[in-house]
Amino acid sequence: MPELLRPGSIDEAADLIARHGAAAAVLAGGTSLMRETYPSDGGYLIGVDRLGLDKVVSRDDGWSIGAAVPLSVLREAVPIPALQAATREIGGPAVQNMATVGGNLFARAPFGDLAPALLALGARLVFATADGETTQSIEDFYAGWTDGAPPRTGLLTRIELDALAGAAAYMKCARRRYSTPSVVTVAACVQKDGGTVSDARIALSGAHAHPLRCPAAEQAVIGSSLDDAAITAAAQAAEAAVAPQTDAVATDWYRRRMTGVFVGRVLAVLA
Amino acid sequence: MEDKLIRLTVNGRDEAVIIQPLATLQDVLRDTLELTAVKSGCGQGGCGSCSVLVDGELRLSCLTLAERAEGAEVTTLEGLNATNAIVPLQQAFVENYAAQCGYCTAGMVMAAKALLDRNPAPSRDEIVEGLSGNLCRCTGFAPIVRAVQQAAQALSDTGEEAS
Repeated sequence: MPELLRPGSIDEAADLIARHGAAAAVLAGGTSLMRETYPSDGGYLIGVDRLGLDKVVSRDDGWSIGAAVPLSVLREAVPIPALQAATREIGGPAVQNMATVGGNLFARAPFGDLAPALLALGARLVFATADGETTQSIEDFYAGWTDGAPPRTGLLTRIELDALAGAAAYMKCARRRYSTPSVVTVAACVQKDGGTVSDARIALSGAHAHPLRCPAAEQAVIGSSLDDAAITAAAQAAEAAVAPQTDAVATDWYRRRMTGVFVGRVLAVLA
Repeated sequence: MEDKLIRLTVNGRDEAVIIQPLATLQDVLRDTLELTAVKSGCGQGGCGSCSVLVDGELRLSCLTLAERAEGAEVTTLEGLNATNAIVPLQQAFVENYAAQCGYCTAGMVMAAKALLDRNPAPSRDEIVEGLSGNLCRCTGFAPIVRAVQQAAQALSDTGEEAS
């Protein structure tokens, strides 16, 4: 049985994570990790409930979101509809009161429905390490995942998010309406100059070993008017970018097909 | 790792309980305090049958470490009324045949209470979303949704609280 440690400061938590390495797991809301606690026969659970990471601070140009902010609090504090939609897609109300923003970013596929929204919105992740603070773009963070598992970067303390530039949309393909794992989850943020797409961020989770930004799909729509041909090209590019898994929720074939379908549907909303 | 003493308030009573390492709030409520309306369903946060209110907020007791509930105010179904009288929300479940085997019912009622405390006049879609973390596998969801609709209507007619 693992031992629960509840450090009282971020420095102490970062030191514990560095000291215990792979034997340590960070316990935030517990909605994923608690399920894995019982069969485990050792190691440490490092609770983050005493670190003051449960606040959202509004800046003039965005938000600084504590990693231990529950999803239901995020929904009230950050009024970006695509992000609010993501919080509704994770568990039911009780889970949303417990599960945290930071914890969900570490969820293993096919879970982790918040990541596509934060990838599309260009979030930055701030980690505390034994050597000090380090900031990473969220796509760099996911690029560092191997075999569907996150790198050991330190303790995620906050998520920096700028105000929405352009328009964003979010959709989850799942077997039922609520409280269910993802077949594929897609989010996109598009900026237009006149009628032409000047910048685009397209991201997905569920259909790949980790959440993924899709530059090839983005290039297919940048410079276009988000016409049908550009949307179809982006959908095909996204299908080619994913390496989906087969599990009880869906086959790899179905996940790839739905990746194209839902990239298309999300972009159609923004057209 | 040693047993610990924690203090919390459950259904309005101050309690001091000795917990084993990594005991859950569900363990404390069901096994120590014998509040068996808190059901032990999936143990994974998937069914909602262990739902309780912690400081007024809907939580899953099976995924909550008891140690982290120190000092909290916890409400289970048993705490909806001090004398165990049936509250209007429960009465609506009775009148709408919203319980067949009854295993999910306590969790459903707590989820419905959390919803109505926050939103006394929910739409049907809001009720469905409010109950979305709670599984029923025999009654069917339609009578349960109707029960919550009736309870909400009764609230707006009388101006009373859900429970």
